[in-house]
Amino acid sequence: MTAANVVRFVRTRREATVLAMLVLVFLGLTFASEFFLTGRNLSNVARQISVVGIVALGQALVIIAGGIDLSVGSVIGLSAVTGAIVSATTGMPSLGIAGAIGIGMAIGFANGVLITKLRINPFITTLGTLSIARGAALLITNGNPQRFDNWAAFLGYGKIGGLPVQFILLVALTIIVWLFATRTRWGRNVYAVGDNARAARLAGIDVARTRILVFTVSGSLAGLGGLLLGGMLTNANPNLGLGYELDVIAAVILGGVALSGGRGSIGGVVIGAALIGLLRNAFVLLNVSGYWQTITIGLVVILAVGADSLNRRSEED
Amino acid sequence: MTDCLLSARGIAKSFDQNRVLHGVDFDISAGQVVALLGENGAGKSTFVNILSGALPRDGGTIVWSGAETVFRDTRSALDAGIIHIHQELSLISSLSVMENLFIGDYMTGKSGIIDRKALAAKARELLARVGAAHIDPRVEAGSLSTAEQQIVEIAKALARNARLLILDEPTASLTPHEAEALFAIVRDLRAHGVAIIFISHRFDEVFAISDRVVVLRDGRVVGDRPVAETTRAGIIADMTGRAFTFDALDKPAIAADAPIRLKAEAIADKGRVGPVSFALREGEILGIFGLVGAGRTELLELLCGIRPLAAGTIVRPDGIVPTNSTEAWQSGLALLPEGRKTNGILPSLSLAENVAVAKRQKSGGILDLGVEKSLFARFRDALGIVSEGPEQPIRRLSGGNQQKVIFARCLASEPEILFLDEPTHGVDVRTKADIYKQIQDLAKKGMSVIFVSSELPEVLALASTVMVLSRGRQTLLAPNQGLTENDVLTAAFAQA
Repeated sequence: MTAANVVRFVRTRREATVLAMLVLVFLGLTFASEFFLTGRNLSNVARQISVVGIVALGQALVIIAGGIDLSVGSVIGLSAVTGAIVSATTGMPSLGIAGAIGIGMAIGFANGVLITKLRINPFITTLGTLSIARGAALLITNGNPQRFDNWAAFLGYGKIGGLPVQFILLVALTIIVWLFATRTRWGRNVYAVGDNARAARLAGIDVARTRILVFTVSGSLAGLGGLLLGGMLTNANPNLGLGYELDVIAAVILGGVALSGGRGSIGGVVIGAALIGLLRNAFVLLNVSGYWQTITIGLVVILAVGADSLNRRSEED
Repeated sequence: MTDCLLSARGIAKSFDQNRVLHGVDFDISAGQVVALLGENGAGKSTFVNILSGALPRDGGTIVWSGAETVFRDTRSALDAGIIHIHQELSLISSLSVMENLFIGDYMTGKSGIIDRKALAAKARELLARVGAAHIDPRVEAGSLSTAEQQIVEIAKALARNARLLILDEPTASLTPHEAEALFAIVRDLRAHGVAIIFISHRFDEVFAISDRVVVLRDGRVVGDRPVAETTRAGIIADMTGRAFTFDALDKPAIAADAPIRLKAEAIADKGRVGPVSFALREGEILGIFGLVGAGRTELLELLCGIRPLAAGTIVRPDGIVPTNSTEAWQSGLALLPEGRKTNGILPSLSLAENVAVAKRQKSGGILDLGVEKSLFARFRDALGIVSEGPEQPIRRLSGGNQQKVIFARCLASEPEILFLDEPTHGVDVRTKADIYKQIQDLAKKGMSVIFVSSELPEVLALASTVMVLSRGRQTLLAPNQGLTENDVLTAAFAQA
């Protein structure tokens, strides 16, 4: 890679813009707060990034395929309480894990089937399941938080070799999803379907099955996210993950995935999730009102996408 | 002609290097219906688009009701009373009929509030003038049938005081009964002094309603006669009289005992095409000709399992009849669809991916990107694809090169039968020649090809067997030996 190529890369790839922002925020925090570079804080940041990142991996596939999944926040809540209840009632934490991921998978699969077979728009479908999943979580718990402190919760709060387990999961899943997206037929079909669904179908791709697949993956990863979040708090609240879909979608968009489908990289999505996690941490460390953090994340999304769109336009002229 | 409403002299137009109109002369008087005929690409649309201000002309003059005029845009032509009704209707389907009729001028007066009662009354008046008093002006335009929408378009033209009405294939999607109602309106408008340019591929309609027939060929007027002095055969001769632009390619002889790859027995869909029967042998090139809307694309979709079969049977030696495009490719069919941009390319994806995408669906799940790149390199060389490399997104390529990439996609899947829908549409002469040569070579190696084309010389140059469709029916199926353009066109215009 020559210097000119590097400049071109930075100018034309949103991932690069966001990576630059990430480095800036990291350096800024290092100087601004003595607590930032402590092991305890960094492992907190890693945890914060992990759940957003894991759920964003699935969301990224959905958006690349030309869809959107608004239900992930509610699925987090429903799978957390499902995991807690199943492991408590059966006494088998492994069944709790299966239950949490399974319920997410089922909702994702249902999303995919409704979208492809009944041809309901993805936005509407997942807006519906967002409401249904949250309602179900509140219904089965009667609105009460569930204790969740068996070994299944370890995935959420535990550490291996000083690293949070969920962060290790994020790294592993990133590699798996990246391989899937770039090196397998089904992964590349996801891009083709999002780029031009009609052409993809006429070229022999099973478009419906591809869409069902991405929604199922997204639901499953949201289910895992719920398990981790509940485990981290050792308490599964039915309201867990409220509004989470917005952070997740923001991470995906920051990572350079085109909302119109067909374009985006898995690596970028993790960078996007990291930036959001870091920003959230920054406000805690700098003791700024939490309200400001919400405003800032909105501004960052608009800034990153705006800069990208300006660059792209000058590229095409 | 003494009282010319519009008189065009020496109208010329080029797109890039390509000259489309070579000095067209055209006159029309008030109260006259002139039919404008010609093959696809003869320049009809370009010419009427210049008249209606949609395209600027490169040369020539237009005299409009006695004064030389330049219409800079459709707005100024519209204000002068020239109204072009396109084949694809342009009503806003979610607005009511009356809102569509008076769009842009709701006669609100000072208050700025629309008087719905007054608007409805005015709309009823207009609809009654075009014999459509039964249409309620308050319903949504989108709820009307195509024929009714067409009539509303004409009423809309009247609302703007049309003096010259251009109708571009107005009957393409109408039933004969609806078309007859439309002609009654056209005759009435003529009686009221409106001039009408009527573009159609249907000769019976041309003879039924026009006063004069003007034929364009390769951007020149080659015939301009009163309808009484015109014959069907004369028009066909005018339309096709051009020098043969393709070298006569040698057509591979198909042995009578060559194995049959696909046999269709009276196949049909629900209403658009059929019944069609034929047998396709190894190495055979079946060329399907027909006018736009004759059901050609629908027939290919039927054969590839994309469109459900409503009647008849398809027989293949291995017994596999696909029911969707995935199965079609997996069972050895390959389709190059019509409409490169909407149905062909995956715009953001790389050239290598655009080539490999169909072949992938046949093999395992893990990809070997190196193999796919060398696959692209092979076709780049064989087809002469001009690009920056396998990673370039296909949207950056020219149309002709994009078409070659989609062609490569078909070949890469190593099909038994290759289906090509308008394979040379919108590609330059050199690319055309490349594609013809490829098709011939493949057929010699035993691949069977079915291609659809609206370019008659192309069909006659390339096909070993010719099929003609007319309004969905098969009107000709014959070996391409001694077939003339006249034979094929007669079949294409036949009333099956």
